[in-house]
Amino acid sequence: MTEPTTQPVAAVVAELLTKRYGSLTAIEDLSFTVAPGEIVGFLGPNGAGKSTTMKILAGTMAGTSGRATIWGESVSLNPAAAKSHLAYMPENNPLPDDLRVEEYLTLRAKLKNVESKNVQARVEKVMIDCDLIRRAKGRLIGHLSKGFRQRVGIADALLAQPKVIILDEPTIGLDPHQILGIRDLIRSLRGQMAVLISSHILHEVEQVCDKVVIINRGRLVAQGKTEDLRRELLPNAVFKLTSNTPLAQLLEICLQIESAAKIEVQENLAGDWVRYQITIPTQSAIRENLAAHLIKAGVSLREIAEEHYGLEDIFLAATRRTTNDGLKN
Amino acid sequence: MRHFKTLLFHELKLAVYSWNTWATAGLFLTLMGTIYWFALLECSRSPQPWTPVEGTFKLFWLPLLCILPLLTMRSFSEERRAGTLSSLLTTPASIAAIVWAKFLAAWITWVTFWLGFIPFTMLVNLRLGSVNEQRLSDPTVLIGALSFIFMSGLLHVAIGILCSCLTRSSALAALLTFITLLGLTAAGGALESLPIESWTWLGWLREPASHLRTFGHLQDFAAGVIDSRPLVLYITGNLLCLGLAILAVEGQE
Repeated sequence: MTEPTTQPVAAVVAELLTKRYGSLTAIEDLSFTVAPGEIVGFLGPNGAGKSTTMKILAGTMAGTSGRATIWGESVSLNPAAAKSHLAYMPENNPLPDDLRVEEYLTLRAKLKNVESKNVQARVEKVMIDCDLIRRAKGRLIGHLSKGFRQRVGIADALLAQPKVIILDEPTIGLDPHQILGIRDLIRSLRGQMAVLISSHILHEVEQVCDKVVIINRGRLVAQGKTEDLRRELLPNAVFKLTSNTPLAQLLEICLQIESAAKIEVQENLAGDWVRYQITIPTQSAIRENLAAHLIKAGVSLREIAEEHYGLEDIFLAATRRTTNDGLKN
Repeated sequence: MRHFKTLLFHELKLAVYSWNTWATAGLFLTLMGTIYWFALLECSRSPQPWTPVEGTFKLFWLPLLCILPLLTMRSFSEERRAGTLSSLLTTPASIAAIVWAKFLAAWITWVTFWLGFIPFTMLVNLRLGSVNEQRLSDPTVLIGALSFIFMSGLLHVAIGILCSCLTRSSALAALLTFITLLGLTAAGGALESLPIESWTWLGWLREPASHLRTFGHLQDFAAGVIDSRPLVLYITGNLLCLGLAILAVEGQE
């Protein structure tokens, strides 16, 4: 087995990956990287090509063209070496129903090149980490609940202490308590191994991941840190404010302090009070103290708050942009 | 062949714990016991030119067609249906090791089934000794016939494994195996019965017919005649089928 002596710059490299099924293109020219120790969220609508990409990276599916490397080893040219650095938990986490949890993990440890003398210790360790030791250790996998099956899948991924872990929808079908547990577990891997995780629960990805890669219709639409993407994809800051100042007067004041400001009425409230929405560029100098500027200009305010853009808004903005581009084309 | 040993032990363990293996073993022994019983009855009524063991092994095609497909049908198709094969392929274990481990485990199980027939003959020999001055169980015939079963099993089990690689349905895999084994077993007999000698345009069939005479191979082995041609046929057939099985698994993902 080839063991690179130095740590590669990127733990995972996808370079111009393309997969075609006849005339259907599942992914096209997809390129991104995951740095060692980094946790990256891999997002996209259903059918965007997430699972296809993950399968190609895991070496269970051949790409039509492009290059994929795991810890510096080519997935297609040197699959055994690439797989020795990788753990992959596929979507729906297929497990053999007729094996007991401990039996299964022991077999997987042996297949994943864990040294014979360490197999038992590693199996015990991952069962403790994934909270399997007390309630699931000796049970048949076929008799486990969905949550415990997911834990077995994650325990399997952690067994050989790989450099890279790819998790395809690891929290699908779990209850909130189980999601929290898995989230903490993934978070604890930061700095130890590179994790590429796909999930539909954007809140969860935002909480756990260092950066995100968003694809749509098989193409990369955005990648980077959430904050950077927010700036790139959502260039305006939105404020909701409640005031009794008339619209015309408020607009005049807003334009005086920020020429690019836009204002619209959201809702007429009791008395003279109106809920407005003010949009200004994110980079605007007055963003940090808009309330102070308005009060100084004589606007009476009852309430003002900046809308927070989450990963969901970033995801929708990114995918909507490419969908619209696609429709135009 | 990385992790071949680990995978082989795993497959053997699964075979031992699987209800499918035990049910199939029960069916096999019942079938063989019944055939042997009728062969004994025939020999007890009047002297026969064959021993009861020979008579039993002449019907080896019955367990071959009915039992072997049940043994091999789940090996890959079930793993493909459940998705566990994809999961196995993400480990550093090679596809060749996976295919060979499954094949060898199935072959060992098949061989064990046939070895399970030996106590029948020993028991009969012990209790009855001989009927009509005919030895009930000639050990040379038994060893020769079993050698044929083990040798031809290399090809027959490999066919079952290959068929299991081709589909996600265990039932379809069993049917494919049945049809292929039936064709292979019957082809030799059919070609032998054709008047090839008088049909010059069928002369090219003479050579393959002489190789595919499965029943002739059984007779040769049982008579203690070891010809290298059937050995080459079964070993090369085995390598061809397992090679195709490896390609089939590689191509599925």
